[in-house]
Amino acid sequence: MITAERKPISEIKEMIAPYRKILVVGCGSCVAECAAGGEKEVGLLSSALRMDAKASGKEIEIKEITLDRQCVYEFIDHLAEIISQYDAVLSLACGAGVQAVAEVFPKAPILPALNTTFLGETKEAGLWVENCRGCGDCKLGVFAAVCPVTRCAKGLFNGPCGGSKTDRCEVDPDVPCAWQLIVTRLEDMGQLDLLRKVHPPADWSKQQGKGPRKIIREDQRT
Amino acid sequence: MDQRGTGFTRAILFCRQLDPNQDVNRRAIEREMGGSIRFFPLPCSGRVDPLYLMRALESGADKVYLITCPEGACRYREGNLRAKKRVAYTQGLIEEIGFARERLELIVPSAEKRVTIDELTRDILAREAAIGTSPVKGK
Repeated sequence: MITAERKPISEIKEMIAPYRKILVVGCGSCVAECAAGGEKEVGLLSSALRMDAKASGKEIEIKEITLDRQCVYEFIDHLAEIISQYDAVLSLACGAGVQAVAEVFPKAPILPALNTTFLGETKEAGLWVENCRGCGDCKLGVFAAVCPVTRCAKGLFNGPCGGSKTDRCEVDPDVPCAWQLIVTRLEDMGQLDLLRKVHPPADWSKQQGKGPRKIIREDQRT
Repeated sequence: MDQRGTGFTRAILFCRQLDPNQDVNRRAIEREMGGSIRFFPLPCSGRVDPLYLMRALESGADKVYLITCPEGACRYREGNLRAKKRVAYTQGLIEEIGFARERLELIVPSAEKRVTIDELTRDILAREAAIGTSPVKGK
């Protein structure tokens, strides 16, 4: 899941200041799950912006809409009939959603209301943690499904740094040592032998340095 | 103090488990106060969503109250604790747009004496609102 957080309202207000009619568009997928950009958050932000405008004597018109997904054209198309009635779109999607909408509607100002943060999981109600960097070279199979790239502060591939204290990371004592988790899980699974293999440094070219990455699947294309 | 005719409006969301006769008791106050007060019974205060509180303020309520069960008395165990967090979240949001956090108030009645919704409301009305009319109503 892609996680995000709402930008400060002062920043959002600055972005929408030149516009009077705003289409506030939520996304019902990842950012709804992390309570940043779903239907409720669209309502909260719209209410706040309307109240702010009334209090400062400004005229503003806001329509609220939430798409199932803002990163898929079939869903974005739902905006086609109404978008021309608005001066700008305030998108509560991740960065991918904002850009997808902008691509479909090249003449419309599409403004981000969220800061996209990381790929993560819902650990418990109200707590999301990062557990994937999208490095393009997944090694979870040999590390007992615990990612050292993301969850080890030092990104170590060949064992712990030795600085952890009582299974906590020395960089942040709130975080469990990823290598403690890896070893414990491999022990539990009887697969400690997997650690005998020495891993070369990660191939970061699969993650960065070549501009935006893309995946092409000919069988999925039309 | 008699607050009828002052133009000050209140929205009161409350846990209806508080008072078995809440329907009759709140209607008595509503008749007395006319349009200046509106009640919203909830099955549990934990059912409240920040959006309810925002919409109440946006609709022009000068002050919004959420009345929970006494601490430790929630029949769903922690509904009133969740309600407290949601009020705090919404207070943060309205502060971001320059509204005083006091426009939202959480009321947690004492567990020592059982009180009815009309008694709680009269207590609210007896106090000074300590806040002017909502900026939403314009200057």
